Amino acid sequence: MSGGLGTPIQGVTLYSFTRAFHGRQYDLEGLIRKVATEGYGPGLEIIGFSSFRGFPEIDDRFAGWFRDLVDEVGLVTTSLAVNADIGIHRDRLLTQDELIEYMRRQIDAAAKLGFPIARVQISLTPDSMEQLAPIAERYGVTLALEVHADQYASHPRILALRDRYEQVGSPFLGFTMDWGATVTGFAPSLLEAYRRRGATDELLAKVVDLWNGFYEQGPPADQAEHGQRFGAFIGLAAQNGRPDLGIDFGINGTGLFGPARVDDWLEIMPWIRHVHGKFFGIDERGEEPSVPVRDLISLLVEQGYSGAVSSEYEGWHWNHWQSPFEIIAAEQAVQRSAAEASGSRMITDAAEARRILDTHLGKAVQA
Amino acid sequence: MISDRMIEAGTLTTDGARAAVEVRLPWYRALPGSCIAGAALAVDGLRAPAESLRWTMNDRTFTFDELVDETGEWWFPTDSAVLSGEIAVTADGAEHEVRVDLTLYIPYIVIGENEVLHIEEHDTKTMTAREVVAA
Repeated sequence: MSGGLGTPIQGVTLYSFTRAFHGRQYDLEGLIRKVATEGYGPGLEIIGFSSFRGFPEIDDRFAGWFRDLVDEVGLVTTSLAVNADIGIHRDRLLTQDELIEYMRRQIDAAAKLGFPIARVQISLTPDSMEQLAPIAERYGVTLALEVHADQYASHPRILALRDRYEQVGSPFLGFTMDWGATVTGFAPSLLEAYRRRGATDELLAKVVDLWNGFYEQGPPADQAEHGQRFGAFIGLAAQNGRPDLGIDFGINGTGLFGPARVDDWLEIMPWIRHVHGKFFGIDERGEEPSVPVRDLISLLVEQGYSGAVSSEYEGWHWNHWQSPFEIIAAEQAVQRSAAEASGSRMITDAAEARRILDTHLGKAVQA
Repeated sequence: MISDRMIEAGTLTTDGARAAVEVRLPWYRALPGSCIAGAALAVDGLRAPAESLRWTMNDRTFTFDELVDETGEWWFPTDSAVLSGEIAVTADGAEHEVRVDLTLYIPYIVIGENEVLHIEEHDTKTMTAREVVAA
């Protein structure tokens, strides 16, 4: 990273609009046009297996149509989110060779569709990432492994990846920072959703206390401690007469709301190639009540980050009563305001975004 | 999770011996047949025998045993699949309570040695039945 302030690129992942797409309110083209018209871009991230029928097979005609559409509406493709479906066979996990080929096909799809980054996930080991580096280089696609709760930047598995990246020295290996690893509270909109499912205020206060206790302790040291915390949520629900909510409390309390501190990201900052601006809702003051969006944007600006931030709204899982479109617009306003408060700005112009993203990834190539 | 939309409203059909209903994926991304690990179908509390269940997607019909090795056909998030089984339902204009249970494997979330996450979702909706001629 250079010594100057960063200028992150504003953008969105279509994952934020999952309910609208799944509910057939918008098809892929309609959603892309909406993103452009309403100004959620210019950065555009898409999950391959969510949005492209037949993925990862992408024929040239479809790829041409897609690239023309993105150009026409003035968006900039940032990251194609791909998946390591290691458990695709019911009776066994993929062999290492099968896994590498499974990932190669998706990296090929990213290149065809014009995405300079493929978001990959934690199920890829340091050995797999090392093996994939020359493939990424051949296709010109940077692999950005997502650091997502219940992991966090200084988690042993992430540090092992970082150390391997350093050894391998490929500019095509990096991380996607997911803000869900550094959350400061149990999302109020999820508490409201539980209330609507009949959970009492007394139980919800205990859920918040349990999470706050974990926040005080910091993120779980390892998978065993993670499991204990998951179990504590299940136990709490059972002791309070709502065993049906236990797994939900556990999944969200540990897998969505990661309790690491914002400066934990410094452990891997030079390798951050992409950002998921994960968030859960906007309160009546127009702020994100449980994700420190302002601190995270400040950190990125101060650290000279000029890659994309995909706003990733996860509240759609439970918030059926508010429009995701307005909530995402409000969260992006917080990002822009935070960047300005840090003496910089978010990039919202497509041509400028294209140039800056090229430099961000190109700078990585020269590093 | 999108389990509230799993049963497509108004899609219950019957040929007298078998009932069928359209089912939507309660997950955000496409999954192959091999990850559709099991289902149950009940109408008015009567469950279709497990061996009578059939799963139709992309114009192909499978038993659940056949789905185990099916990595070629994928269930796309905006497509309806059809779950059918032996339950006698009468298309008499009356409301019927339909319940679907579904078990899905999430192939990229590894939770242990040789084990991936599976999720169990269910949905219940009330609708009238439409009569169709047996194929």
